[in-house]
Amino acid sequence: MRSTTRRLALLATVLGVLALPATAAARQVLIGSGSSAEQPILNVLFKAYSKLHRSIAFVYTPNGGNAGVKDVQSGRSAFAVNTRPPLPSDSGTTQYKLYLDGLCVAVNPANSLANLSVNTTKNIFLGLSTSWSGIPGSNLSTTIDPIGRNSTAGSYTFFQSAILGGKTQASNVIPQTSDGLVATAIKNDANAIGYVGLAHAGSGSGIKPLTLNGVACNATTIKNETYPLFRYIWGVLPTAHPSVAAERFLDWLRTDHNAGRIIARAGAVPAFNK
Amino acid sequence: MQEEIPLEGGSGWSQDQRAELVLGALVCLVVCLLAAMLAFVLHEAWPSFSHNGLSWFGNGGSVDNQIQAIFTSGDVKGAPVYTFHAWPLLWSTIIITGAAVLIAFVSSLFVAVFVVEFAPDWLKRVLEPVVRLLASVPSVVYGLLGVLILVPLIGNDLITQQEKVSVNPTIQLSGYGLLAAVLVLTVMIAPIMIAVFADGLRAVPRNWLEGSLALGINQWRTFWHVAVRTARPALIAGTVLATARALGESVMLSMVSGGVGFAPNPADGLIFFFEPSRGLASTILFNTEELDSPPMKHTLYAIAAVLLFSAVMLSFTGWAAKQPMKRYGMVA
Repeated sequence: MRSTTRRLALLATVLGVLALPATAAARQVLIGSGSSAEQPILNVLFKAYSKLHRSIAFVYTPNGGNAGVKDVQSGRSAFAVNTRPPLPSDSGTTQYKLYLDGLCVAVNPANSLANLSVNTTKNIFLGLSTSWSGIPGSNLSTTIDPIGRNSTAGSYTFFQSAILGGKTQASNVIPQTSDGLVATAIKNDANAIGYVGLAHAGSGSGIKPLTLNGVACNATTIKNETYPLFRYIWGVLPTAHPSVAAERFLDWLRTDHNAGRIIARAGAVPAFNK
Repeated sequence: MQEEIPLEGGSGWSQDQRAELVLGALVCLVVCLLAAMLAFVLHEAWPSFSHNGLSWFGNGGSVDNQIQAIFTSGDVKGAPVYTFHAWPLLWSTIIITGAAVLIAFVSSLFVAVFVVEFAPDWLKRVLEPVVRLLASVPSVVYGLLGVLILVPLIGNDLITQQEKVSVNPTIQLSGYGLLAAVLVLTVMIAPIMIAVFADGLRAVPRNWLEGSLALGINQWRTFWHVAVRTARPALIAGTVLATARALGESVMLSMVSGGVGFAPNPADGLIFFFEPSRGLASTILFNTEELDSPPMKHTLYAIAAVLLFSAVMLSFTGWAAKQPMKRYGMVA
């Protein structure tokens, strides 16, 4: 009998310890979902915001932008982050421009190519241009190895509509499941060309971003919208009864200068309430 | 309160009875869960199978374009499209798994024989924990090594410019392909085989071997003909386990196999080994972002159903193959 009592006491202690953080903190948990490409930038922003507002904690599910919008429509998420502009099917949601991002077209540093036209890029990824000897400005005469994203990625959809005119990437494009793997593939193959988010094309990435139609892929050209592959990242809230805390967070994200600095450091471009 | 209940007899059940009851209930629960999972997957997969019939398993058109048509039809809320011909994905899974299991089986058998019978004791003490550690390395680690070391090596040093030109623009040969996938998968599943094979070989009664040695038969022939033959159920068990892991491997293969829905053609000669492809499990991984599109969800569940069915058949084949060996008196 004694051992039973002791066991019960132990159980009570353990339960008490487990319950403690829940009662002590009483944090409000903001549930969000959406773009997986933006997750690295969002994670930094969540951390900074939770530091400023100790009562707010975030749970973010990177299930893809389109799925995020549906989560907001059904009330499963308080907010969503999407990489494409609002569509008629997004009814019942209000969307805000949060910040800007750009898709850089990049080659291996061994390639002397510096500029590419949108049209040539299109021909390469549609399998119409297959040799570097046909691309003016390149010192290579080898086969082009195009690297892309898998067809369900937001970056793929964006590239498809912005460059390929809605057509499907050719079968000689090797699809990768993340921007990091695209960058790695380009770094390891002198004949490769691919597209990655601005955050993955920095100086330490080992790949060389090209100018597209003569415009460089950097924060300035993306901000003034002259770079052909710039895109807005959108915040999604329900139109009816949005969570006040989620609204405040998105407002901070798109207007606050500290948030802007964090966005810039994480590899995107702040838009400051455009 | 346990201590107060008499162990045998009395009013309540004995401890043995209770243990039996609890364990029995747990087994029933596991079996029920398994059945429920099978029923659920088949139910979700049904629309894809019923729309395509047997041509689901056939060849026709670009499977990647079909996948895109399937998920866009769900996103725009129009009439759902289900047309899907999975042959390139099935074929990729079959050759990558088949080749890796074959290579791993032969090499693992020799390694296991060496570890159990011929290695000096100090080497055994090193090898055994190393093999067990290798067997538990997460597949994504092998994937990273493949992407960072093996793929560039194959792409830059083994594939010639002529070979690349000959298949362009249908497919790209840049190292992502069969060779890389099979090699990494072999390295991944061999330790599992070695560990199970070695356990089986060690379980062979020592006096059987001594009997053979006493008849003047040398150590190699004794071990090969007595131990390896006796341990055949263990060889099958290890192979089934490793094949199941290879069949379900998605992360590593999606990183090194090339990711396009292309069926590598053995008639292409040497190039065949460099051709990119994408297996069934990797296809599920590639398209999880579109699970919210109903026709895509059903298609992915259909792929999952095929994988589940293969796993079930694999276990069954393993069981059936072991039956005639029962007379050897060893069960693994």
